[in-house]
Amino acid sequence: MPQTLPDFSNSVKLKYVKLGYQYLVNHILYLLLVPIMVAILIEVLRLGPDEILNLWKSLHFDLVQILCSSFLIIFIATVYFMSKPRHVYLVDYACYKPPVTCRVPFATFMEHSRLILKNNPKSVEFQMRILERSGLGEETCLPPAIHYIPPTPTMEAARGEAELVIFSAMDSLLQKTGLKPKDIDILIVNCSLFSPTPSLSAMVINKYKLRSNIKSFNLSGMGCSAGLISIDLARDLLQVHPNSNAVVVSTEIITPNYYQGNERAMLLPNCLFRMGGAAILLSNRRRNRSRAKYRLVHVVRTHKGADDKAYRCVFEEEDKEGKVGISLSKDLMAIAGEALKSNITTIGPLVLPASEQLLFLMTLIGRKIFNPKWKPYIPDFKQAFEHFCIHAGGRAVIDELQKNLQLSAEHVEASRMTLHRFGNTSSSSLWYEMSYIEEKGRMKKGDRVWQIAFGSGFKCNSAVWKCNKTIKTTTDNPWSDCIDRYPVHIPEIVKL
Amino acid sequence: MGDQKSRVNVHSVLTQVSSGPSASVETYPLTRLDHAMGHHTIHVIFYYEKSPFGSFDMDPIRVTLSEVLSSYPPVTARLTRDDAGNWAVKCNDAGVRVLRARVGITLDEWLRSADGNEERDLTVWEDMPEVPNTWSPFRIQLNDFEGGGVAIGLSCTHMHGDLTSLILLFKAFSESHHGQAITFPPFFKPPAPPDKKFSVNNSKSTSYLEAKLQKQTPSVKMSTATFKFSDSVVKQCLSEIHDKCPDASPFDLLAALFWIRVVHLKGPKHDDHTHSLSLCVDFRRLLQEPLPYGYFGNALNFSLLSLNEEEMDCSMLGRVAELVHCHVSGLKEEEFWATLHWLDLQKEEGGKYAPPFAMYGPEFTCVSVEHMIIGDQSVMYSMNFDSAKPVHVSCHVGNAEGEGLILVMPSAEAGLARTVMVTLPEEETAKLCEDQSILRLKPTMLLRSI
Repeated sequence: MPQTLPDFSNSVKLKYVKLGYQYLVNHILYLLLVPIMVAILIEVLRLGPDEILNLWKSLHFDLVQILCSSFLIIFIATVYFMSKPRHVYLVDYACYKPPVTCRVPFATFMEHSRLILKNNPKSVEFQMRILERSGLGEETCLPPAIHYIPPTPTMEAARGEAELVIFSAMDSLLQKTGLKPKDIDILIVNCSLFSPTPSLSAMVINKYKLRSNIKSFNLSGMGCSAGLISIDLARDLLQVHPNSNAVVVSTEIITPNYYQGNERAMLLPNCLFRMGGAAILLSNRRRNRSRAKYRLVHVVRTHKGADDKAYRCVFEEEDKEGKVGISLSKDLMAIAGEALKSNITTIGPLVLPASEQLLFLMTLIGRKIFNPKWKPYIPDFKQAFEHFCIHAGGRAVIDELQKNLQLSAEHVEASRMTLHRFGNTSSSSLWYEMSYIEEKGRMKKGDRVWQIAFGSGFKCNSAVWKCNKTIKTTTDNPWSDCIDRYPVHIPEIVKL
Repeated sequence: MGDQKSRVNVHSVLTQVSSGPSASVETYPLTRLDHAMGHHTIHVIFYYEKSPFGSFDMDPIRVTLSEVLSSYPPVTARLTRDDAGNWAVKCNDAGVRVLRARVGITLDEWLRSADGNEERDLTVWEDMPEVPNTWSPFRIQLNDFEGGGVAIGLSCTHMHGDLTSLILLFKAFSESHHGQAITFPPFFKPPAPPDKKFSVNNSKSTSYLEAKLQKQTPSVKMSTATFKFSDSVVKQCLSEIHDKCPDASPFDLLAALFWIRVVHLKGPKHDDHTHSLSLCVDFRRLLQEPLPYGYFGNALNFSLLSLNEEEMDCSMLGRVAELVHCHVSGLKEEEFWATLHWLDLQKEEGGKYAPPFAMYGPEFTCVSVEHMIIGDQSVMYSMNFDSAKPVHVSCHVGNAEGEGLILVMPSAEAGLARTVMVTLPEEETAKLCEDQSILRLKPTMLLRSI
């Protein structure tokens, strides 16, 4: 990844120069407009009222001309308003909080590992090292079937977990928003690794007795970034269907995917993936505008699947003994970095203020024309966003993004604390992070949030939200009983 | 009947964790008395007509169990050796092992037809491995009967706690399930000896322990029978012996009765002409600074009552009951501290405690659970689930070899009713079940094979 400007930019004087430059470029229009208005005002005052009246009389106005001009104006205005994309609002969302019986302390995890893999002490040691450095805490949860020795990943147990997680999140969402099930027009469920027939979206329709003309979609196999893909799909559908409500359910069902072999690259997901889910209500109805929490501004999707290495870096396959697991390749971080760079290149022009874009453009021109050895300029995304939700895929992912985007510890706090408290809950982790920021009382009206998710394929998807109203802290969220304990210091290596 | 395949089928094993992480991983040592009890295991079974565990995996009762476990860090802990080589408990939150089993018959049929040995299958009997850091010392087995009954079996190594600890842990669970405050909250600080020194030499308990250390008994196949004596019968018997022993408790009466009959059954002794009864009494409230009932650990004392052969032959029930009563009421705190002091003296080089020996046995041992009756309430039958008391409560002690073991416990019926569980070599148990002196008291026989 490209490096930052040299150290002298940290000096105080240059900081003020930079601030002045930013203010100048970002508000250039206002700065140009003010002198023009002053000039006109001076001119008007100079001319005096009689002169202005004479000027007015000299303009000949015809009825036809007036009518045509006004029709033209009205026509242009109508075309503009009709072709403007509908605003999509996030009314509210609910995250699933697992019961305490599903908790997995480190000691229990290691004990089960030793008892199940008793013939492979090296694999047990490997899992212990991963767990020590993982950044997870002692309160993450696994579904009931995984607490058995050996785990009992039957299809019934998987459906049980799906029902528990999805229905709890949906019930919570319906209660928070006051939405009636019959008012749901679009339903999108994403769950990467468990795809039964009938689909999970059919399961939801059956449980809540949704309408027969509902538009339902079930996305599977799309990895941890499927949550934002679902949001993107919902947004596109809401452009076509006016006055509609869309419910998006993001989850990952762990029960059938707990790897029971001893191949190291495949044991890693066992240490990181945990139980979780979220249900989100999106709407384009005008009456939801005032009570919605956020407005969706941009969704940017980047797919690196055309590259073979990226395609194979997160791969579900059978090991030598025929046991199915997800293999993570060693180049994962490098590929993630590449995908992020691609995504940033697309999102940058959409969100960055003019000052940053200008600097980037000038550095780019300079590198091309004058001196290729100039270090490329990394735009400062902290000026475009107040909050960052980085998918809690693992400690390494968060560390890498913090370094590359030059974020402070507070910016990545939501991601790190979500990883500590809930583990890697796959596509729903972004929503736990949003909830954390809200419960800390940091979400104010007008704040912009950037959600970044990575997923198998290899994909990097971003969503930009703008906060619609200052959000008050509540008690019906997954952080309510522990938010006061956070942030916690997470040691590099936890002694097990 | 004895070699029949067990009707209890264990079908799954899982781990139940506590509801919150402990603030820090603490390791604290087990006491001298805990170490001394290391040869044994303790098992308690609670029978209920209707299982409170419902769907099991997602039942809210499991959340209550998790919450109770977070008040008892030693229960979810693992054993480890400290620097001196002694056992310590590392409170790392690893959880308790829960086993689920199914029994193919109804609860009533089981209580009628199963025998004491088969009842053992309702709890977990596992030897502690060499390296117990992934071994759960506490195990709960949930046995589902046909028709909805359940037997909840708790077991643990005797090092961790005694019968009182297990019973009060289960009581805390049932109270939490109903949202009530815990009557006997857990207490983990072991009793500290008072300042004055106790002389080891002329203490009865310590000489008795010395003798225990020396004896070796051959292991014989034992069997258990359960006798339930009703309140009216016990009252009547107590009034019969009133002149000899005015203050007799049901324990004194029943211990004396069974002792006399067992001695009679065993026949004359070859080597020595005294009959001994080892009495095991709980010391929590007998100490000068009483320990709360909720003290989680061992607080027992074993003492010996001896009668010579002639006295035993012509003694009446009343006289023997009087002797037992005097012995039990005469137990002083000094005995308890002297025992602990003696155990300290048995330490090896470097402070390691001596390997444990059998504390229950080799003599005929009688365990009193009278302390679990507070006022007129029996604590053992007070753990209600959905307003239902347990139908029956059994208790077994592992590795209690020797001449035999009897436990005199409260019954489901309140008042003076008692349940007596007798473990003797097989032939003797069979003979005891036909003994007229016992049968005239019209006991209800449970859990003995016909």
